[in-house]
Amino acid sequence: MLAIALLLIVVFPALNALHVSIHIYGDHRLEVDDFTLNLWAKYLCYAILAISVDLLWGYTGLLSLGQALFFALGGYMLGMHLMLMIGKLGQYKSDLPDFMVFLGHTFLPWFWRPFRSFAFAAAMVFLLPGLLSLIFGWLAFRSRIKGVYFSILTQALTYAGSLMFFRNDLVMGGNNGFTDFKFLLGANLRSAGTQRGLYVCTALLLVGVYVGCRWLTFTRFGLIQRAIRDSENRVLFSGYPVARYKLFVFVLCGIIASLGGALYVPQVGIINPSEMTTDKSLEAVVWCAVGGRGTLVGPVVGAIFVNALKSWATRAYPDLWLIILGLLFIVVVVLMPGGLVGLPGQINQFLRSRSRRSDSDSPIASDSPAPASDAVSEEDSGSAELSALKGKPLAPDRV
Amino acid sequence: MRSPFIFLFLLLAFGAGLGARAETPREIIAKAMVTEDAEEQVKLIDSLIGRSGDDVRGLLLAWKEGSVYIYEQKKGEGDSAVTVKIPVTLDEKQDAEGRQLARGVIDGQPLKNEKGEPLLLSSGDLTQADTDSNLRTAMKSVLDLAALSAPDALTRRNAVSKLGMGQDPTHLAPLQLRLKEETDSSVKAAIREAVDLIALKNDDAKVQIDAARDLAAIGSIPSQDFLQQLLKDSASNPPVAAAAKASLASIATHTKWVNFYGTIFRGASLGSVLLVVAIGLAICFGLMGVINMAHGELIAVGAYSTYIVQNIFGAGLALSPFGHSIWIPGVNAGGYAYECYFLVALPVSFMVAAGVGIVLERFVIRFLYRRPLESLLATWGVSLVLQQLLRLVFGANNVQVYSPKWLSGNWTVFDVILGWNRVFVIGFAVLIVVAIWLLLTRTPLGLLIRAVMQNRTMAACMGVRTERVNLLTFGLGSGLAGLAGAFLSQIGNVGPSMGQDYIVNAFMTVVVGGVGSLAGTVVSAVGIGVADQSLQQILLNPVMGKILVLVAIILFLQWRPAGLFVTKSRGLES
Repeated sequence: MLAIALLLIVVFPALNALHVSIHIYGDHRLEVDDFTLNLWAKYLCYAILAISVDLLWGYTGLLSLGQALFFALGGYMLGMHLMLMIGKLGQYKSDLPDFMVFLGHTFLPWFWRPFRSFAFAAAMVFLLPGLLSLIFGWLAFRSRIKGVYFSILTQALTYAGSLMFFRNDLVMGGNNGFTDFKFLLGANLRSAGTQRGLYVCTALLLVGVYVGCRWLTFTRFGLIQRAIRDSENRVLFSGYPVARYKLFVFVLCGIIASLGGALYVPQVGIINPSEMTTDKSLEAVVWCAVGGRGTLVGPVVGAIFVNALKSWATRAYPDLWLIILGLLFIVVVVLMPGGLVGLPGQINQFLRSRSRRSDSDSPIASDSPAPASDAVSEEDSGSAELSALKGKPLAPDRV
Repeated sequence: MRSPFIFLFLLLAFGAGLGARAETPREIIAKAMVTEDAEEQVKLIDSLIGRSGDDVRGLLLAWKEGSVYIYEQKKGEGDSAVTVKIPVTLDEKQDAEGRQLARGVIDGQPLKNEKGEPLLLSSGDLTQADTDSNLRTAMKSVLDLAALSAPDALTRRNAVSKLGMGQDPTHLAPLQLRLKEETDSSVKAAIREAVDLIALKNDDAKVQIDAARDLAAIGSIPSQDFLQQLLKDSASNPPVAAAAKASLASIATHTKWVNFYGTIFRGASLGSVLLVVAIGLAICFGLMGVINMAHGELIAVGAYSTYIVQNIFGAGLALSPFGHSIWIPGVNAGGYAYECYFLVALPVSFMVAAGVGIVLERFVIRFLYRRPLESLLATWGVSLVLQQLLRLVFGANNVQVYSPKWLSGNWTVFDVILGWNRVFVIGFAVLIVVAIWLLLTRTPLGLLIRAVMQNRTMAACMGVRTERVNLLTFGLGSGLAGLAGAFLSQIGNVGPSMGQDYIVNAFMTVVVGGVGSLAGTVVSAVGIGVADQSLQQILLNPVMGKILVLVAIILFLQWRPAGLFVTKSRGLES
């Protein structure tokens, strides 16, 4: 784990800064050019988003289809600051952002003015998505909305958000969004050095989020979180205020996603409402599912793998990319509940069960393995009930 | 010997009388067509005012459109040859060389050449008879008044309205004349309105006041602008101004009622669309615990099936999926047979969508019962695949689906416009609800469905083949989605991502209505539809209306988290 972190944080940018280029064979070289570094930065931002999805879904059992909303909101907050930093260098050579001049505004609306300060924008990256998730989560969890209903509600929230941001009269760029950023804290965004710096920040943030979440899962809070995932009613009966735990996790994940979005925007250079749609949320869920939910490494692996696949497929077979993505999704959900990270375990279990079957005929085997991966939630297939009758009659329930 | 002189005189008078008989409208028009002098042309056309006869309208319209040509025919031989200009119209049918039969404007009969054979001419060889703007203005007045006696009631009504809005006092007499002969009630009402509108411009204050009051009594919405104008013009004349204001107020109230009923109707129509879309989803989710994100794509499949059926009835369809070309032949049915394509398209959409649903169930969903979150995700994957397949096969653009004639058009009741296709959707939604209810309560399959829904394992113990029931229920739900798609093809656009527009609202309907409850789905669909339309009316902003509806649903779920009609059970887990 430390090795990977080192690779990401130190080695990549170093290779880029030093313009190292090692010849392998033919036309292929081992090098980290600016484009690749930028691409990896994007992947890492997506990995942060995926972790936020996983913390909710794999660990708490809440499938939120609204994480893209928070991701985009964080991006928009920083984007507002960046738009104001363009200053007079825009198309219209005016203090106002280009799209405002285009729409006929003559002065900056009141809610734009504080964004001149980076500190305020950074605070808003935490505050706005945090507040939104707080209100929505409180409303939802208070009335014990769970399961699919919760997912559908987050989908509706995202849909409403994207509808609002597509409108021009919200003065948030309309369907074009914000783009053409030039400066951040005095540094020119187009320069390789700034991008390298941003990459290092992203990598550091990813590692920080990972470490933080990992620590969280080892505390009592993490235990209760997983208990809520497995059987919410029992946790309620045991006296815990389940709604508060869920609310805390929901807000935390909203903020994590928003941080990812905030770092995404200066590196990609554009933010628009199509980042805020349900499709993007579901893509984040795909990364999580493909990588392996219920683990923290899984989403990172999944995000990088699926996006790398997307980069390749949209160049090689652009017509078929959506079909590939859809099939990937179906296959992973139906056949590989543990994702890529859980694949070795799954193969292992399969081989073991085959060897055991060839050993003895008795169904009550010596130590029939419980489905050990903590990715199993109570929503397992109905065959779980029958296997409970078959395999382990007296084994205590695993919590 | 005076009698020969008298006889000659009488003969001359007779001859003069014959010569001076009134020219037929055709002759006047023919003369106008060949006259060089523009003023003369206008005078001739003006003389046609009041002359009726369908050939007048037809000829003038043809002339305006440029379908009249001047044919120069040589008569005589050699030095005494005379070129005569004959205005002709060309028949539509073209022979092998692109020539058409020429008919003289004067009598409508085919022109004959020297040998007496019908003359075939091609339009490229002839000069068009053209018009200038003065002439067209003159033609307009003739046509407007001539339209008063057109055979079609709709044309007459439109002509009357146009004359009324012109507010030209010279038109008053022809209108009142027409009123005496008119038989159609809608045209008579239009004449009454038109006469009132013209009277608003009268100098006599009493006439104006009476006209304003009468317009209010009719509840004429188009007259509002004219009443506003009257109010402005009569600032110095208090009684007239008061009458205008009173009439405006009365018509405003009438408009409010019209809008109210219109909103209710549109809400019911939107609600019925939502119902048709959501009922398949409600069945799948309520009875099997499967959230089907591919429902929108099943709707699109149904809509595309309608498109294909339409093209089979028409001229055939060329598709090119994955680089191969497929040609679906068409039977080129015409007229009434073509209009029936929709009746054939309905069962076809049902079958096709049900088939796709059954395939989906067998290969994907079967593994995911009792795992609602996974079924959501896997079906979303399916929806991506289906969308892209539709895009690759049919193209990313919207395709054109025509409404059959018996579904187009409006039915106007007291100024409230009810579109036929929407009335049909409402009716069909009612039919579907009744059919589903009958299926669930009166058929053996319905009994099995309800049993499996209430307690799956117990039903299996009682010998119910649950897999078979799942399959059939999912097929039913998907088929309903296909039917919804067939209807939506009449109301909206048909494109690969059309399902996405409806899916969020469909989910909301199911969630608000309560899972597993047919009545809940009906009530919530109609409620959401009416709420959406009313909010749009009140806020005048469709997007804000949609957002408010979503927020309202979130708040509603605070109060009743399980929806409107909850299926009560003793178990703790849902």
